[in-house]
Amino acid sequence: METQPAKKNISSYIIQSQEDEIKRIALELHEGVGQTLYSLYTGMQFIQTAVDQPEMKDYIGDMAQMMEKTIQEIRLLAVELHPPALGTLGLLPAMKSYLKLYTSTYGIIVDLQNEGKEVQIRERERITLFRVCQEALANIARYADTMSAGIILRWEPGKLSITIQDKGKGFDVDAAMKNSAGIAAMMERMLLINGRCVISSKIGEGTSIDITLPLY
Amino acid sequence: MEYKGCSPRESVQIDQACEKVLTKLECDFVGLALQNTDGPDVKWHYAAGNSNEKYKRITVRYGKGIAGKVISTGRPMYVDNFPENIAGKALEYPIMLAEGLKQAYAVPIHFKGIPKGVLLIGNRSGQPINENRQSTARDAARTLEKKLNG
Repeated sequence: METQPAKKNISSYIIQSQEDEIKRIALELHEGVGQTLYSLYTGMQFIQTAVDQPEMKDYIGDMAQMMEKTIQEIRLLAVELHPPALGTLGLLPAMKSYLKLYTSTYGIIVDLQNEGKEVQIRERERITLFRVCQEALANIARYADTMSAGIILRWEPGKLSITIQDKGKGFDVDAAMKNSAGIAAMMERMLLINGRCVISSKIGEGTSIDITLPLY
Repeated sequence: MEYKGCSPRESVQIDQACEKVLTKLECDFVGLALQNTDGPDVKWHYAAGNSNEKYKRITVRYGKGIAGKVISTGRPMYVDNFPENIAGKALEYPIMLAEGLKQAYAVPIHFKGIPKGVLLIGNRSGQPINENRQSTARDAARTLEKKLNG
């Protein structure tokens, strides 16, 4: 798939703006709303100890419990939107953390293998690789009808290759390319960071998604 | 009484109860999800007619997925012609994806009057779950409720 320079710039701008906005919302939820709720929560606990009426004490206790649940929800939502590990620890720890959540959500076991030593790559590239892997895994949960999948990260001199594979139902790649915006978006995202995304699939045998990124 | 886990004998009884519902309602899948005692998350514990073991690993948060929504609202939920007629994304319905269900009807199961579990019946063939079957599922949920409450 060729991308014209002007179109490439627009796509890049839209994707980047979307990522920036997601990150901003995640940070705002975690650092802003989450922190304020936590202050309210500790305040309620304080009031609970100061109140003598047993019914009121119980009522405030219930409210504090509800507040605690809400704080947890907000934190999880923020992590789901933009995993903090992606910015601080790198691609591999972020993937490991996401795969735990993925298996406990969809029941699909993912075997993650890492070959070579992770090298520092730019945040924009890390986010793109993470999002493409997320999309590939989401497609496995939706369409592949399989119990397991595998991801291999290969850090080679000058190149990072990631293979996401499953032995599920498989699909007609050409037909899917015309109908699925998700697959086109994966390819487009990789092109925007000068990487490549190749999808191969055989009906009844499974699917393999190979993404590569040159490392300078 | 809050759910504290079952003895192996009781587990077999619940498995059998799920099988009974499956046969009685002539549906493709029956699952029982329960809220964890140590947190708000909801797990699928028992199933009949399952096509794989994925349900055993699925945990949904309170208010998420069919099980989480039914527990948080305390009301039954019907999903028809999945993934066409749904609110939100298909990925927000893990049990439907894991079992390849097209239709599902989920009923809350109460402990001490508070919804803490869900009985779900589902079809893969696309056959709608009519009011008659929904009513039978509600009755089955009440029976299971008594079993689980001891």
